[in-house]
Amino acid sequence: MWTSQQPGEPPDRRPPAGMSHGRGNVAAPSPPVRLRASGITKRFGRREVLSGVNLEVHAGEVAAVVGANGAGKSTFLKICAGLISPNSGQVEVQGSIGYCPQAGGTFDFLRPDEHFILFGRGNGLKRDVARSRGREMAAGLGWSPDPKVQARHLSGGTRQKLNVILAVLGGHDILLLDEPYQGFDRGTYTDFWEVIWRLRDTGRTIVVITHMLNAMDRVDQVLDLTPTGSERNR
Amino acid sequence: MTKVLTVAEMVLRDLARRRTVLGMLFLLPLAFYAARHDQTGQAIRFASLGLGWGASTAGLFSGNSAKTVEPRLRLVGYSSLALLIGRLASLLLVSWAIAGAYFLLIYFDQDIRRPGALALMLMLTALIAVPLGMLIGALVPRDLEGTLLLIGLVGVQMAVDPAKSSSKYLPFWSSREIGTYVVDNVDSGYLTRGLQHGLGMAVGMIVLTGVLTVVRLRRRKHLQSIRQPVAAAMR
Repeated sequence: MWTSQQPGEPPDRRPPAGMSHGRGNVAAPSPPVRLRASGITKRFGRREVLSGVNLEVHAGEVAAVVGANGAGKSTFLKICAGLISPNSGQVEVQGSIGYCPQAGGTFDFLRPDEHFILFGRGNGLKRDVARSRGREMAAGLGWSPDPKVQARHLSGGTRQKLNVILAVLGGHDILLLDEPYQGFDRGTYTDFWEVIWRLRDTGRTIVVITHMLNAMDRVDQVLDLTPTGSERNR
Repeated sequence: MTKVLTVAEMVLRDLARRRTVLGMLFLLPLAFYAARHDQTGQAIRFASLGLGWGASTAGLFSGNSAKTVEPRLRLVGYSSLALLIGRLASLLLVSWAIAGAYFLLIYFDQDIRRPGALALMLMLTALIAVPLGMLIGALVPRDLEGTLLLIGLVGVQMAVDPAKSSSKYLPFWSSREIGTYVVDNVDSGYLTRGLQHGLGMAVGMIVLTGVLTVVRLRRRKHLQSIRQPVAAAMR
């Protein structure tokens, strides 16, 4: 678990332990737990990629999941989203889940507006509302979708913006984002984190898989899945 | 219902933009039909098989291309059945449009004794073919395996003697029965048997595809609603 400042890394600006949800000298009630993963173990054949992993995230918190390639970050997030089953352990959630995959997750021949409508209708939004909300979110990421361009013709970064918007569009309580800013330029990367902080301020629970160490100073907790000791050769 | 229609609309939009695919779907039965054009009964049967092969392939690829997105759509509120029915409905619509075009071609080009039965035969072929492709897509992990399976199935269907009792286990056996009724002076038993077989196949494959889709997109048991708070624990 990442807790202390390392040389060359930005200062830890997280609130001190026990103060994260308090105001002044009066202790406020802790926000409710939105996501609790307990004892998650996952094996692919003989290879164990996750071993007894725990994570608890409250409403209004951002958790980062880090780890080396193959450490099981994406697998862990898919288990949290209920897309695949663990060999053991359970995930408890309170509220709806929005999930942004690392790759794929969109239809090549559909346009961004059509994606907004498709995903928005699933969330119970009217067509116009879904489309305007999607465009609004795109503007927040510095993107103005061309109404005639299909998803397959979007650049990698722009396609990932579409992926993020589709995960957030329905106003879900829990957002699970798997390396959402792959291909983002620096400006969009900054915009992305602004969006995340705004969502956090509205009480959303966000779990982000990331390699970007400079984002760590701004998240509430970090789950490091890097194998240690004997696990390293798994 | 709104969600089913939304899925159907998006599948249609997706398919409408694949113009080469659409062109080939329209032309495939023509190649089969032209190959046996001089024999009315065979020409009709082969056009029907070409239609079935094309529609099955469309069902297979359409179903497989949606596999990575459908789990997300389940999360945002679509039911497994809404996803299945929406896709099935739009693929059937396209397949029936192709069937309609071939009905007109055959009607004006051949000496047909019972045109109503011909229309029924082509529509039934599409009704069997689309779920067949979707079923194969649900059974195998990737397009290549599915395509090989489909080629094998349709190849056997074309090669096997339709008079053999074992041919009844193949999906498009009904087209031979109804095709005979369309062209020859035979009793309505051919039509009845063909309809029973075709509808049974279609319903069976839709149900089986539905079961596989529901299982694949099920809510996993390890995911539960929060009952009581516990102290935060980090690995």
